[in-house]
Amino acid sequence: MSDEARTELEASGAAPILCLFAGASLWLLLASILALLDSVKLHNAGFLASRPMWTYGRVHAAGDTALLYGFCVPAALGVGLWLLCRLGRTRLAGPVVATVGALGWNAAVAAGLWAILRGGGTGYEVFEMPGTVAPLLLVSYLLLGICGVMTFRQREAGPLYPSQWFVIGALFWFAWIFSTAGLLLLASPVRGVLQSLIAWWYEHNLDTVFLGFAGLAPIFYFIPKLSGRPLHSSYQAALAFWMLALAGSWGGIPGGAPLPSWLVAVSLVGTVLTVVPIAAVAMNLYLTVGDALPALDGGPALRFTCAGLIFWVVAGAQQVAGALPSVGTLTDYTWFTVAQRDLFRNGFAAMTMFGAIYYIVPRLAGAKCGAPDGLWKRSLARLHFGLMLAGVALGYVALLVAGVFQGVAFQNPANSFTAVMRGTMMGLRLSTLEPLLLTLGTMAFLLNFALLLKGCMARCRRESPAGPGMGKEGA
Amino acid sequence: MNNGPVLFLGLFASMAISWVTFVLGPLAQMGNLQPARTVAALPVAYPNSPPGLAAQGAGVYRACGCAYCHTQQVRPAELGPDLARGWGIRRSVAHDYIFDGTVMLGAQRLGPDLANAGLRMDAMAVLARLWEPRMVNNLDSAHSMMPSYRYLFDVRKIGRAPSANALPVRPEYAPPDGYEIVPRTAARALAAYVAGLRQAPYLFEAPPPPGTVYTNAPASGTNAPPDGSNATNGTNATNGTNGTNATNATNGTNAPLLPGGTNGGNPQSAIRNPQSNHDP
Repeated sequence: MSDEARTELEASGAAPILCLFAGASLWLLLASILALLDSVKLHNAGFLASRPMWTYGRVHAAGDTALLYGFCVPAALGVGLWLLCRLGRTRLAGPVVATVGALGWNAAVAAGLWAILRGGGTGYEVFEMPGTVAPLLLVSYLLLGICGVMTFRQREAGPLYPSQWFVIGALFWFAWIFSTAGLLLLASPVRGVLQSLIAWWYEHNLDTVFLGFAGLAPIFYFIPKLSGRPLHSSYQAALAFWMLALAGSWGGIPGGAPLPSWLVAVSLVGTVLTVVPIAAVAMNLYLTVGDALPALDGGPALRFTCAGLIFWVVAGAQQVAGALPSVGTLTDYTWFTVAQRDLFRNGFAAMTMFGAIYYIVPRLAGAKCGAPDGLWKRSLARLHFGLMLAGVALGYVALLVAGVFQGVAFQNPANSFTAVMRGTMMGLRLSTLEPLLLTLGTMAFLLNFALLLKGCMARCRRESPAGPGMGKEGA
Repeated sequence: MNNGPVLFLGLFASMAISWVTFVLGPLAQMGNLQPARTVAALPVAYPNSPPGLAAQGAGVYRACGCAYCHTQQVRPAELGPDLARGWGIRRSVAHDYIFDGTVMLGAQRLGPDLANAGLRMDAMAVLARLWEPRMVNNLDSAHSMMPSYRYLFDVRKIGRAPSANALPVRPEYAPPDGYEIVPRTAARALAAYVAGLRQAPYLFEAPPPPGTVYTNAPASGTNAPPDGSNATNGTNATNGTNGTNATNATNGTNAPLLPGGTNGGNPQSAIRNPQSNHDP
């Protein structure tokens, strides 16, 4: 297929996908700012404490929600839809429906965040969207998901590439877990501690399986593509895919939870088995790129994607370690688990999505006026990468160390609880740099994005003969 | 794996396995848990529905996001020092939560576990912590990282007589002369909720430590009629510190939860030990 034909096919999805990306990056900015406020409150208890709206618990819930539902899910949907078009060599099915879905999703996120800050959250971590907003989220998601499945169905005949499995897996997975959680937590709540069980199950599936699938899809596409080497083994990719679907969906229950012990045991087994997909993916992509990686210049797309992959492996390994009873006894309910989740969401999910966004956006925005690559300001992209990498790594190490110290000190009942928490203060102060750097990085990205769109529009007007007054400038 | 339907069916099967294991199975096992028999065969079922004010307080607890810093689950002794820290007399089990509207077990401990907050604090103590966590008469809490929740209180001019609900505070945290601090309804509800949190009676899935003797429980563990005098004992012991005006009604209803106090190692003494410094 010629480049022009491909560009023309992909441009069919420009409106919904760009809408998803633009909304996602704005929500990410908000999420980083909320995380920054939150982090300052940890070592300055009086900071913004006088208004109910800015109380720690609400800001924290809103920040998590903005990151997951504002950024991660729509960015994953945008990347997924684009991958289905690109790999299926087809147009996006129902671009108008998808645009409606994207707008509806963003409206629902806005309403949900407002409700959470006003005290209307549900009380379930990462499922705080109130019952009035959740149906709108689900419907918007289904509109986008159906477009994805229809796009997949109209693909050109031929073997499927691993990224297509991962995208389809992610599309179905979120619909299943979100509707289960909505039904059993909000519509007709189950009794007692089953609520916590379902909330844990939902959170674990959202992170490990949905975000895992959604992030591995672009990783499997961009790393071989941008390094110019074929994927080492699609059997290993299939092994990783099925093990992640089977074992990744079992877990998330802390060791001492007030639940029958068989559930805790099953959760432990599932989590430990996720070493198989982690090892399979790491080995597969290492053998694909090998040691040539440092010499490659794949631009921001490859840099972000590779960083995301590395963080996925680290976060996954830490999750397995933390699930072992001997470790979990020390680390459950401490900063250790928070460090792991932050790394997974900000390090793996967000960086992988940005890698894909850096590749996709110029091809969509520039498609209509035939703009080539290189629309991004490279300096801003580099700045974004540097800030994000430094922020994620610094915050991770600070919280990890604080968590280990917290867990060890907590074991000795002679250390009063307040003294244990005082011991984590240095780590918490350092970790405030993470949301600060992420906020700056996201600002650099948004500036870059705005400049790119402006440049594309200017170019379109120059090149279109109908543009009044622009013809001369172009001549 | 180049076939769309096969891909879909495989995904569906994986999802179904997880769903049956983590949703359907537990629902079948625990979806209709009834109040438990207690080891001490107390005359009331355990647990009780929380009284109205405390149920409202659960809503305040949820809306303020308290669960982001406080867990409500005590781990068994072999999985952590929760019990050694005096956060409970036994591990938490599924039965403890069957009447909670929204179950908020929490995932992180930036503050102490509150599963048994009602055994350590009365409503006044909770209110004092909400006004100023560093005010509580306890050396350790001077360094608490908890924010104050002053928006739950009114500071108002004292009328003809001081309000019966006014919060007594230490001079350095007191309002100007002629003013008093009066908790709003939300604060009193939250305090009633927290002061009502207790997972006190031993259950068959969370038995007392070996060697504990119960005068009112038959050795066989069947539900023989309870011994009235011991039950009364338990009531007195539990209500001992709850003498404040705000929550008398609240605490009265779920009082007789502890086993009678004739055994040597009364678990309550571990909870109430004034020398233990583990309060928030």
